Amino acid sequence: KMSTNENANAAAARLNRFKNKGKDTTEMRRRRIEVNVELRKAKKDDQMLKRRNVSTLPDDATSPLQENRNNQVTAHWSVEEIVKGVNSNNMELQLQATQAARKLLSREKQPPIDNIIQAGLIPKFVSFLGRADCSPIQFESAWALTNIASGTSEQTKAVVDGGAIPAFISLLASPHTHISEQAVWALGNIAGDGSMYRDLVIKFGAIEPLLTLLAVPDLSSLASGYLRNVTWTLSNLCRNKNPAPPIEAIEQILPTLVRLLHHDDREVLADTCWAISYLTDGSNDRIEVVVKTGLVPQLVKLLGCSELPIVTPSLRAIGNIVTGTDEQTQIVIDSGALSVFPSLLSHHKNNIQKEAAWTMSNITAGRQDQIQRVVDHGLVPYLIGILRKGDFKSQKEAVWAVTNYTSGGTIDQVVYLVQAGVVEPLLNLLSAKDSKTVLVILDAISNIFLAAEKINETEKLCLMIEECGGLDKIEALQSHENEQVYKASSTLIEKYFSAEEEEDQNVVPESTAASYTFQIQGNTPNTFNF
Amino acid sequence: MELSDANLQTLTEYLKKTLDPDPAIRRPAEKFLESVEGSQNYPLLLLTLLEKSQENVIKVCASVTFKNYIKRNWRIVEDEPNKICESDRIAIKANIVPLMLSSPEQIQKQLSDAISIIGREDFPQKWPDLLTEMVNRFQSGDFHVINGVLRTAHSLFKRYRHEFKSNELWTEIKLVLDAFALPLTNLFKATIELCSTHANDASALKVLFSSLVLIAKLFYSLNFQDLPEFFEDNMETWMTNFHTLLTLDNKLLQTDDEEEAGLLELLKSQICDNAALYAQKYDEEFQPYLPRFVTAIWNLLVTTGQEVKYDLLVSNAIQFLASVCERPHYKHLFEDQNTLTSICEKVIVPNMEFRAADEEAFEDNSEEYIRRDLEGSDIDTRRRAACDLVRGLCKFFEGPVTGIFSGYVNSMLQEYAKNPSVNWKHKDAAIYLVTSLASKAQTQKHGITKANELVNLTEFFVNHILPDLKSPSVNEFPVLKADGIKYIMIFRSQVPKEQLLLSIPLLINHLQAESIVVHTYAAHALERLFTVRGTNNTILITAAEMAPFVEVLLTNLFKALTLPGSSENEYIMKAIMRSFSLLQESIIPYIPSVITQLTQKLLAVSKKQYTFSKVLFVGIFLLISYNCSVIISFPEFIPYVFQVMSLLLEMHKNEIPSSYMALFPHLLQPVLWERTGNIPPLVRLLQAYLERGANTIASAAADKIPGLLGVFQKLIASKANDHQGFYLLNSIIEHMPPESVDQYRKQIFILLFQRLQNSKTTKFIKSFLVFINLYCIKYGALALQEIFDSIQPKMFGMVLEKIIIPEIQKVSGQVEKKICAVGITKILTECPPMMDTEYTKLWYVESSSSVGEVPSMLSTSLNAEALQYLQGYLQAASVTLL
Repeated sequence: KMSTNENANAAAARLNRFKNKGKDTTEMRRRRIEVNVELRKAKKDDQMLKRRNVSTLPDDATSPLQENRNNQVTAHWSVEEIVKGVNSNNMELQLQATQAARKLLSREKQPPIDNIIQAGLIPKFVSFLGRADCSPIQFESAWALTNIASGTSEQTKAVVDGGAIPAFISLLASPHTHISEQAVWALGNIAGDGSMYRDLVIKFGAIEPLLTLLAVPDLSSLASGYLRNVTWTLSNLCRNKNPAPPIEAIEQILPTLVRLLHHDDREVLADTCWAISYLTDGSNDRIEVVVKTGLVPQLVKLLGCSELPIVTPSLRAIGNIVTGTDEQTQIVIDSGALSVFPSLLSHHKNNIQKEAAWTMSNITAGRQDQIQRVVDHGLVPYLIGILRKGDFKSQKEAVWAVTNYTSGGTIDQVVYLVQAGVVEPLLNLLSAKDSKTVLVILDAISNIFLAAEKINETEKLCLMIEECGGLDKIEALQSHENEQVYKASSTLIEKYFSAEEEEDQNVVPESTAASYTFQIQGNTPNTFNF
Repeated sequence: MELSDANLQTLTEYLKKTLDPDPAIRRPAEKFLESVEGSQNYPLLLLTLLEKSQENVIKVCASVTFKNYIKRNWRIVEDEPNKICESDRIAIKANIVPLMLSSPEQIQKQLSDAISIIGREDFPQKWPDLLTEMVNRFQSGDFHVINGVLRTAHSLFKRYRHEFKSNELWTEIKLVLDAFALPLTNLFKATIELCSTHANDASALKVLFSSLVLIAKLFYSLNFQDLPEFFEDNMETWMTNFHTLLTLDNKLLQTDDEEEAGLLELLKSQICDNAALYAQKYDEEFQPYLPRFVTAIWNLLVTTGQEVKYDLLVSNAIQFLASVCERPHYKHLFEDQNTLTSICEKVIVPNMEFRAADEEAFEDNSEEYIRRDLEGSDIDTRRRAACDLVRGLCKFFEGPVTGIFSGYVNSMLQEYAKNPSVNWKHKDAAIYLVTSLASKAQTQKHGITKANELVNLTEFFVNHILPDLKSPSVNEFPVLKADGIKYIMIFRSQVPKEQLLLSIPLLINHLQAESIVVHTYAAHALERLFTVRGTNNTILITAAEMAPFVEVLLTNLFKALTLPGSSENEYIMKAIMRSFSLLQESIIPYIPSVITQLTQKLLAVSKKQYTFSKVLFVGIFLLISYNCSVIISFPEFIPYVFQVMSLLLEMHKNEIPSSYMALFPHLLQPVLWERTGNIPPLVRLLQAYLERGANTIASAAADKIPGLLGVFQKLIASKANDHQGFYLLNSIIEHMPPESVDQYRKQIFILLFQRLQNSKTTKFIKSFLVFINLYCIKYGALALQEIFDSIQPKMFGMVLEKIIIPEIQKVSGQVEKKICAVGITKILTECPPMMDTEYTKLWYVESSSSVGEVPSMLSTSLNAEALQYLQGYLQAASVTLL
């Protein structure tokens, strides 16, 4: 169960743009809209929402438990035996039973989470969390609960309903780092379930003690695994929408995220970037909260690193920021982001290409000087390269980028685009099996025609389109099943490729068999005003 | 209406009457049914009848009536009454699926359509159990029922293929997937198993394969918007089976029909589409399967016959390969020399062959053949698909592919040489291959504009095209003749001029060929060659170079119109026109030689009592009296008649002859101006009248001036033709005596202002600017300012500010720019209000270094220096104009 971000779904919002040409550019921006419905399998690139702790402690020399001693004893307990042990009054037995449960829950395949829940063990485990007198049982139960919470929403709910949140928050302050770390992890799983539990964790006051864990002069002094866990949990507190996390919580977390963004551990960096990508995935004022911390230049620096796990979320974050205002977009541009795009737009991972093209589409939806920066950085040929041979999802985004460019660009900019060879690959994509993409391409063509008309190059453009086989494609689209597609293609054909009539009804004369009657028609305006 | 036997009886009778051939019985019955369709239970009565009526014809009639009723009434339109009462709606939805499934096929189809209409409105929210009801039938094992369900599902789901993504749509698809994907997959597997158990039972196979076709179609719809998780997880099952089906053959499923695709072909075609969908959209996930499909599809191509019934399959399959081979990461699947060779040899070459069906079309349906071959309406043909594959392969493998094909071309040409009369098709394929290999970009207007540099077009032309055309027998191997002529035509911009000149007499010679295609191509090629422009944008082939051929050209062109099947040949007519305008006065000596045939032709046409408007006959006889004419037999010809007339009129040095004047009023008839094709030549003709006969018109036909201006008004109303209206208006202003149009002037301007107000376009503004400047030159700047301001105070200033200043630079064309330069100079210098009123602030003329160009206008005041410059400018420009 992972996040489902999707770029191009603002269908209704986008359609407005076709009907209302010349609207301000913010309407052209396409947010990363969370779709409620997803047909696809969840994406592998996304950050984990919940994680189960499946490490095997025996070999871990630093283990505070004398695992080796107990290992044989607790290896294969049945759930019944565990219940018996946990319910006994013998502390040692309870510990062994809890450990046995933890081991069951940590096995690679099909941990019996539901059996454990149904056995009514959760309240017991939660109560063990408070046993400061016996840190091993705190640890074992915390681990067991972490793994239960890593399951389905139902399973997480069982943990929350058992009262685990406040208990875990108390454990954050445990003097034993391995216990506080386990509590961090558990809270991460709970918060990762969705907006509701995330906000519950926040409401119970998890943020402050979590941040306190990182309140050391030098982050390198913390164990790397520990730091990673805290970062991950913080990122889950930033995650999910509908509703987004409370703005105060974000403002509280952000300074720490900025600090983490300068740390040199790649996993920490990756999760921090994920956190920032979540925080920027929203309205302009949410983006503003992030941008005003001044983290964009560091984010851009990370965008340019070659580590895929870091590039992926930082590109998402950058992509999100440019869905914001022109000013927010400008900050990204001024931080030098565009110089990274040649490599992103030709990245070997399709998904990076796609996200990069999506980002471009929102920059080309901006001001003409911003479009010019795209041109100056030599990015147009890369976009055309994607149109030509990218995978389909990237091509779709590049189509948007080109269409926005043609819609907002100056005549010179459009001329440059055409000279750079956009027409052929763009028109080839008219055979795409996606009505929306086809419509967006037709919109781009019509924009290019508008520019061509202004410089008297309509005829040349018509020939270019015919030469590359585009005319055949547009003609074929006149019988497309989608009404908007066939209307848009018919309009293009009528306007530029045929001598179809369009008459001003106020001017058309009456006629007799012998001649037309030269006269002013009835509804002459009282005053002319051009 | 009660659900009673009596009502069923009444309805039966009326339904029967709706089938009566006599409208007197049929119409009232239809009226009656319409009048009762609003009643409760009406649809239920129909359902009862279609289920239980004793007469089959009533069952069918009731089912059709029911479907149409649903189509008209089911949708609930906002603010309109609900046309079907709720209880009927519920009852229909509860009964229609089982009813549909238990009905015979004829009725099943109607009900299935009705279900999809209802489904479009009600599914899924208002018809939650539809899916489960349908899915449950999959287990019935009765394939009549199953096919009914599948067909209905297909009509419900096919809209997923073209609708835009939306949360609503995807919610529905998700719901469908959850309920439908697994049962469909199980059904797919079960059906395939049954196919092997019933491998020897033809009738069972037929039913099973119709299911498979529908299942494959459903797969396409359900996978169209995005790759569903379920299908990603089950890709192995689907793709493995699709792959097997693609390679499957069963004699029992082969059909005898040569034209109509059988179930096996339909299924394989759909599988190609499914694979193409995955390859395009879900490339990453599909990659492991793709190579297998490439191999299977190309084996399929190698083994599929030439019959027409395979055309769709073959062109789908080739298109699949074409789309895959263009993708960089599949390059490796094709790059092996052996692979390329075998694709070229076994897939491309065979599908480029001239088939029996093509031969038939060439001989018996030349119009269709020409349309396909020349005008590019060959999108779905095998040749076109093969051609696309060549282009796709050339993206990465231009060298090797050209190399391989050169080998084939050579061997095919050798085959031909061995025995031309038997092997001529080999040469046809060779020419087609060279053409598709060489052409990288093409337009109707210019032919091939980008060619493969690895193909030596001229050499091929000299060695293989010219010899055929030089053959004294123009009727031998007509297909090859047509190929050769087409070669010249499409490569006219690549073949050197001296070669083109060599081919001209040959083309003229082929105007005499009996084959319609051949002489049409020859005419078309000549017409196109006469339009080719050389390096400095002048016509490549000059009248002087054509001089030796003029007589034979004209003779053959006119003779071609007498060849069977070509009396109305538009290509020939165009070629005649183009020749006239290229050759100009050099045709005059030859007029007598063609006139005899023409007169005869005309007489033949008039005997047919073809209902031409009177004007044309007047025109024709008029022209005959002037020793020149043109044939008219069909409306397509009319434009050329006008062109010839204006050419002739323009050649007159003196005043217009009175016989021409007799024709003038007829030229103003609206019927002529309704056809767009007539407009340019007619305007040109009227311009010729104005140029030669303005005074005559003013004195002898003053009553026709409003009609003339009416034509102007008609043209100016049209966005497409307004420039033609301005041509006419400019001629009127330039040539008509001022007093003859005095009374109409204001009205002319008001019409122009209306267009400016309501529907201005850049083109209109440009023409408008040229016109007002011309007006200014002719009548003076003051007159211009006065007429503007007489229509509305301060109008002149407004036009200056809003139209002239911002737009004047857009005017293009040498003469037009000069007119504007002079006109504006006059406005600046000769118009007193410009000097001493607030208008002055509008003006500043930037000193322009090149005389004849439109100066840029900026809104600053005009200084003395600029004024002085302008004076000189005015003089210079005036001189050039006069």
